[in-house]
Amino acid sequence: MRCSFHFTSNIITRNELERGLLMTDFNRRQLMTLGAGAAALAGLGVPLDVLAQASAKGQLTIGFPADLPTWDPNARTLAAVQSLYKLIFDQPLAQNEDASVRPSLVTKYAFTSPKTLELDLRTDVVFHDGSAMTSEDFKYSFFERQQQPVPQGGRKLDTSFIWRKVTGIETPTPSKAIMTFSEPMPSAVAWLYFLASFVVPKAHLEKVGVEEFTKKPIGTGPYQFVEYQQGARLVLVANEKYWGGAPKIKNVTIEFIRDPTARVAAFESKRVDVAIDVPIREAQRLGTQTGVTTSIYPITDIVLLQITKNGGFADDKARLAAHHAIDKAAISKALFGGFAPTISVPAALGSPGYPTGYEFKFDTAKSTALLKELGFGPDKPLKIKLASTNGVFPNDFDTARAIVQMWKKVGIEAELEAIETSVYQERLRAGTLPEATLFSWGNAAADPEFYGGYLLDPKSIFSAFKSDELAPKIQPLLIETDEAKRLSGYKEFHQFAAERGFTIALFQTVKTVVHTNNLNIVKHVNGHILPQTYSFKS
Amino acid sequence: MAFLALQLLIKRAFLAVPILLCVSALVFLILRLLPADPIAMSLPPGATQADYDMMRIAFGLDRSLPEQYLIWLAKLLHGDFGGSIFFRRPVMELISKALPATLELVSFGFMLGVLIGISGGLGMFITRGRWGEQVLDSSTTIMMAIPEFLWAILLILFLGVLLPVFPFIGRLAPDLTLPASITGFLLVDSALSLRLDLLISVLAHMMLPALALAIGIAPLLMRVLRSSLLETIHEDYVTQARLRGISENRIVIRHAFPNAALPTLSLIGVQGGFMFGGTVLVEMIFAYPGLGNLMIDAVRNHDLPVIQAVALIYCVLVLGINAVVDVIYLAVNPRLRLKGRPA
Repeated sequence: MRCSFHFTSNIITRNELERGLLMTDFNRRQLMTLGAGAAALAGLGVPLDVLAQASAKGQLTIGFPADLPTWDPNARTLAAVQSLYKLIFDQPLAQNEDASVRPSLVTKYAFTSPKTLELDLRTDVVFHDGSAMTSEDFKYSFFERQQQPVPQGGRKLDTSFIWRKVTGIETPTPSKAIMTFSEPMPSAVAWLYFLASFVVPKAHLEKVGVEEFTKKPIGTGPYQFVEYQQGARLVLVANEKYWGGAPKIKNVTIEFIRDPTARVAAFESKRVDVAIDVPIREAQRLGTQTGVTTSIYPITDIVLLQITKNGGFADDKARLAAHHAIDKAAISKALFGGFAPTISVPAALGSPGYPTGYEFKFDTAKSTALLKELGFGPDKPLKIKLASTNGVFPNDFDTARAIVQMWKKVGIEAELEAIETSVYQERLRAGTLPEATLFSWGNAAADPEFYGGYLLDPKSIFSAFKSDELAPKIQPLLIETDEAKRLSGYKEFHQFAAERGFTIALFQTVKTVVHTNNLNIVKHVNGHILPQTYSFKS
Repeated sequence: MAFLALQLLIKRAFLAVPILLCVSALVFLILRLLPADPIAMSLPPGATQADYDMMRIAFGLDRSLPEQYLIWLAKLLHGDFGGSIFFRRPVMELISKALPATLELVSFGFMLGVLIGISGGLGMFITRGRWGEQVLDSSTTIMMAIPEFLWAILLILFLGVLLPVFPFIGRLAPDLTLPASITGFLLVDSALSLRLDLLISVLAHMMLPALALAIGIAPLLMRVLRSSLLETIHEDYVTQARLRGISENRIVIRHAFPNAALPTLSLIGVQGGFMFGGTVLVEMIFAYPGLGNLMIDAVRNHDLPVIQAVALIYCVLVLGINAVVDVIYLAVNPRLRLKGRPA
């Protein structure tokens, strides 16, 4: 079995702070009764329940920042919408609140050889159409679908790339599946609870086809699909026959509200009960209001500088000097209210690949000394370029600006450039990234392969730093089936990469959830928002 | 009149062809010249350089620019906008779902804008020289000074949060389910399904985004109408009307306004076109699932087929509005009809 681990969660909860009569409450009640707008509305005959708070009807409404591109859960690996797929579909394995793995559709698993993974499936699981989930559905979801021909102008499923090492899945019984791989795939277990790895109903999908399936998806998950409007909302009803027990909240509506200001406004006007990913300052402000609870907590996603050996960063000392010069704690305090834990390697604190007790120190003296060795200093600065997105993830450009100022003090003059994500991807692919680029990396599974394994493997399409020194260290870990050896290997690898200046990790991403006090929510450090774990307070 | 209108529409349709060709070529070229890679953006973990190359071939991105453009154009002539790189669905399917929402919103916003513009313009004229004119004049300045997206946020704050008169998220209250799609237009479908609760909810949800769009066109209409009325009021026929003892308000409404409305009508055509541009940010802020929202997603993900298609649809809509306004202009302006007759 895999290790269970716990993250240091820095969670604030301001529960019903009594601050007297709040303006918003006063305005809402009094003005609705007395205001000209309400009078006009009544005159027009608009029923007030059109405007009423959703939860008043025993329904949960969530203001969510992203919409999904397709209802085929195997098609895309977009991290931001995995929570939405988890409402309707199940994964073979699941994660606890602390990101540790737990059984789901799969009750037991074991590598019987480096290339064979045996899995026992539950026998009491049914799809929303009432048909039983068996190992045939598992085989279809993780092998057969990937082998199907791609239609003209179409595109392979993302799971085709993820599970490309799977050479076959045997199904000796309806509750047993045996996966065989072309080469060892130790991360296979983690992939069973990571991106796009959902079980879909074989018989139903083959009967109706993908197009019809995506119009009304059917899974084994805790909620059943009722209605979906692209870019607007998703309406769900509890699956009363859910194998894990029916969700306590029976009706859930997800409102897709991309604009953070609108999400805050929707919450303040009580049009949503929960608002996800609101700006930290807004979350803190809302947390002081009566009847509102704010949770701000770090998740397993990280923010780092993707660095290269290009230009001024050709020398290890220059990169190390740049790393030592960044006061990550100050950035966390100034921009993230101190809730973003600083990290020294590209992995979340406490995750299996994080070297215990290791710290890459903020040390301007050391930074200055390293730069001096290269002939640079405040009077003769090292000139580099720093690229950053602006508005793609919270405070991205502000973080980059803070780093520029910190570098300036030690003698690194960085020219800051705002870029789009698509430009970053193009430069990454073409190998033309500048010395440093601020980047956010998602890893809900928290497996070390999905941190350093992807970010630092020179063969990976996600790695910016291509070094011959990294390949011999990372390649054995990608096929290491001894779990303890694999994890300790990643810890050493991550530390090595930081000490040699191959990566500049900054801090963990912060999640904000604002909700009404009549609701119990469960915080997951992998960043997932799972209303199936929520309940209304009695 | 009908013949002239038909003649005009045919002429406009012919003129639209080179315009659409130019726009499509321009959009196509600019998007390809940007240093961004839609395929690299959508690569999943486990993909290799070989996969990347194969995907470029699958989307035709390995071909020369003229080749890519001609293939896209040929497909377009068969009503095929291609497949979305981000959504993994036919672009036509995405547009057919988003377009009715935008058309409903723009139509409602357009009507509100024209209503505010004309009533405000008349109000400014009637109250000329008095404090009423000053108030309305100042309000047009404020309306013009603030961009639509900021109006959207202000409307949410004032009429959505502080004074929660109107809902501002999506198109329907959370507890209401969509009616069966008959026309694709939610407003029409709600009416056809005889669901008053749906109809009211849809209208209430449209109010704030439509108002944000309306504020974008109303002040100019107000000012142009007032100026036209000020010119018209000194015409001989107005003086004659006064001598006949007709009341001032009746003179304005029955005699001056129809003549002063022509420049305003031209402006309505132009402003109506601009209104579609305004939907991009307004729809995002109000989580309104129309073309604007789709465009934002497409731009964020550099989804070239969707960006091209939406840009082209916007162009068609603007040309369509201009053609309709020209026909209305022809109907209300007798001089144009006389010009069309043989000597």
